[in-house]
Amino acid sequence: MSEKQLASTAEASAHQKEWFAQLRREVFERHQPYAIVQADMPFELFQVMGVPTVSNQWWAALVSAKRLAPRCFDELNARGFHDGLCHYCSLPLACTFAGDSVAAPWGGLPKPALISARLTCDCIQRVFEIWAQQLGTEFISIENPGAAELPPRWWELSRNQWEQLFEARRLDLTVNQFRVLIRALEGITGRRFELSALVSLMERVNRQEEYFDEARHWICAAPKTPVRITEQITNVMAAQWLRGTDWAVEHAKKFRDEIRTRVESGIAACPQEKLRLMWVGAGLWHDTDFYTSFESRYGAVFVWSMYLAFGPDGYIRYGLSDPLRALASRIVSMNEQLHNPPWANEWIVDQAQKHRIDGAIVLIPSGTRSAGSGIRFVEMGLEKVNIPVMTLVADVVDSRSWDGQAMRKRVEKFIEERLC
Amino acid sequence: MAPTANDAIARLVFFYQNPMSDALAASETGMPLVGVTSNTVPWEMIAAAGMYPVVLRSEDGPTPVADEFMEPHVFHPRIRSIFNQIVSGRWPLKAVIIPRTSEQEYKLFLYLREIARQYPDKALPPTYLYDLPHSRSEESREYGLKVTFAFKEQLEAISGTSIALDDIARTITESNAARSTVRSLIALRCETPRINGSLALSLIGPFWSIPRKQYAELAQEAAAKLRLLPPLCAPRILVKGVSTDDVTLHNILESFGAVVVSEDDWWGERSAGKDISTAGDPIAACFAKYYSDSPSPRTFPGVVADSWFEERSRAGIEGVVFYLPDEDYVFGWDYPRHKNFVDSLGIPSLVIRDDPRRMKTSERSRMQNWVEHLPKAPQS
Repeated sequence: MSEKQLASTAEASAHQKEWFAQLRREVFERHQPYAIVQADMPFELFQVMGVPTVSNQWWAALVSAKRLAPRCFDELNARGFHDGLCHYCSLPLACTFAGDSVAAPWGGLPKPALISARLTCDCIQRVFEIWAQQLGTEFISIENPGAAELPPRWWELSRNQWEQLFEARRLDLTVNQFRVLIRALEGITGRRFELSALVSLMERVNRQEEYFDEARHWICAAPKTPVRITEQITNVMAAQWLRGTDWAVEHAKKFRDEIRTRVESGIAACPQEKLRLMWVGAGLWHDTDFYTSFESRYGAVFVWSMYLAFGPDGYIRYGLSDPLRALASRIVSMNEQLHNPPWANEWIVDQAQKHRIDGAIVLIPSGTRSAGSGIRFVEMGLEKVNIPVMTLVADVVDSRSWDGQAMRKRVEKFIEERLC
Repeated sequence: MAPTANDAIARLVFFYQNPMSDALAASETGMPLVGVTSNTVPWEMIAAAGMYPVVLRSEDGPTPVADEFMEPHVFHPRIRSIFNQIVSGRWPLKAVIIPRTSEQEYKLFLYLREIARQYPDKALPPTYLYDLPHSRSEESREYGLKVTFAFKEQLEAISGTSIALDDIARTITESNAARSTVRSLIALRCETPRINGSLALSLIGPFWSIPRKQYAELAQEAAAKLRLLPPLCAPRILVKGVSTDDVTLHNILESFGAVVVSEDDWWGERSAGKDISTAGDPIAACFAKYYSDSPSPRTFPGVVADSWFEERSRAGIEGVVFYLPDEDYVFGWDYPRHKNFVDSLGIPSLVIRDDPRRMKTSERSRMQNWVEHLPKAPQS
């Protein structure tokens, strides 16, 4: 595992671990409710209601990083689920199936009061329904209306013109479904939902994302990147899963400050940086050392992944007179923004140019087919602005088909042939 | 190309094998063609707008245009083929309407929009999303109804004419007549089958590609003739899994001595469903039909999605084939549950993962062996 260069990275990791231990104590000892939710859910509603949330994708990444995925998927396959099904969103379900036969991270997930997901791809409703049955808990779904209007440069409109950008009909439906979710949370907690509390939280989320925006600007402006993407991801995601909490806002600020200090002091993550790489796709959770493998020989540093950049561009919402609607606008198009044309390719090309990217490694997620769309348009868009692209087929959580050495060789060849 | 035979059965089979033939002939007379991609776009409303709705079928063969823009392993062969047809300008379509019936189709919509944006010289027909949700909730129902009323306005904009409610009522009546004849054909497959599954698919298929009035006439005539056939004494099979607009799987199973009597698929037994209500607002009636009585991989919760399959499994079959080819990443989640269900009824089942058009000999042998060991169908 590569060295941690930022103090905030160690703090983020320690905080996550302590937060989860606290969650387990609260659930087991005080019978407090918590929820498991998909990453594109409105965490803010749970936050306001005092219901801690575990992100399905975060848990999948943890299970994967502990190299437990192969055993979990063996268990899934043994139950009759074929091996061509999506892995990223189903690894925690597979881990539940595996039960005590694997030592789940940090003691494992206690039974949640509910699980919840947006119905993006056609399999997520199935994964969550099966999981709810297995856990003996309730599944609340939120329908995912399609976008019919997709104007250019969404990231320039999403902060202030979100009502127009995300289409009123889609926001109406999403808000109506939020109300159902809120009623369920009120039932679970015995507390009343307060709109004013949501406004305050949304304001704090804005502040948090503004710090991340500033951090991104510092990274862009620095002659050499001050922070590797692995550390960006640890810091950003630890805060995003708890977005709007005092800790998350404070941590985002600390992260921004540390980046700024490093830039002002001329500290680079990789002093011999010569080539700036971009990683397009979800993180390669079972082999995060991959991202630093090209530094010593080529000075090739991964500068960008979606995790930091999407916070400010995807989450900030100004004009909170109708906070539920603003929140709906935050989540309703994540699928289009990250995985589908025209929004994903346009945004990634813009980010590549702003970050002075020399070459992009674009993930084709073999274990998450639905998230594998839009890649050809990303490739073509980047190549069109003279940023060479290499595609790489990998399962982000399951290492069974991953040949790390061969993949590193392929990237080296790409660097030598197209970037040097 | 037009069918030469006068026989209704031969004409329907011709239209199944040449799904665009009638549409192209109509187009030559000035009828605007509207391509749709699956079963949940209200045919009745498009027809009421004076346009010719036709469901686009997959074509076997290379898809070079799709290969350029669509990632391997993400899109199903049928979606790739449709993309290829539309972008290569294969058909003179005035518009393409894509329902939110599967994630694949939604992505197809976004891809076509992007091609139109980036490559205006390709002159794609305008593409519209009919954003019908399939989860069962009061909020989804309300949304779907609004979307369906907005769909009428969209069709008026496409056709340049206003749509009278009476016209929709008229096309509903036409469509219901066609649904009724589909049900007559399906009756010839149930309990005591008189036609095999390959023929049944070929006869039902044109429901999606020719005008419903014409279809009703042909199917009625075909059903009257087929009713006279002797019963088929063979193990009765239900096919479940990935939707297929191709008869190859049926052909293979039937070549081993089985008869496919049903498929949980809108290309087959689930094509027509129930009639559309003729009472009340015809737009609301169309919505109710397509929301509540049209199969979709997005139907949720599972208990609703499973109900048809469970009911049909109890209605007299000797085996279930779960068709889960390489492109499947959805129905495989249902498989263990469905297998448990048919196991509980004592019905044997078989999983097919190969594409039947490129099936290995060993896989064919496995199928043959399975069919040969199925219980015999009861004598009528």
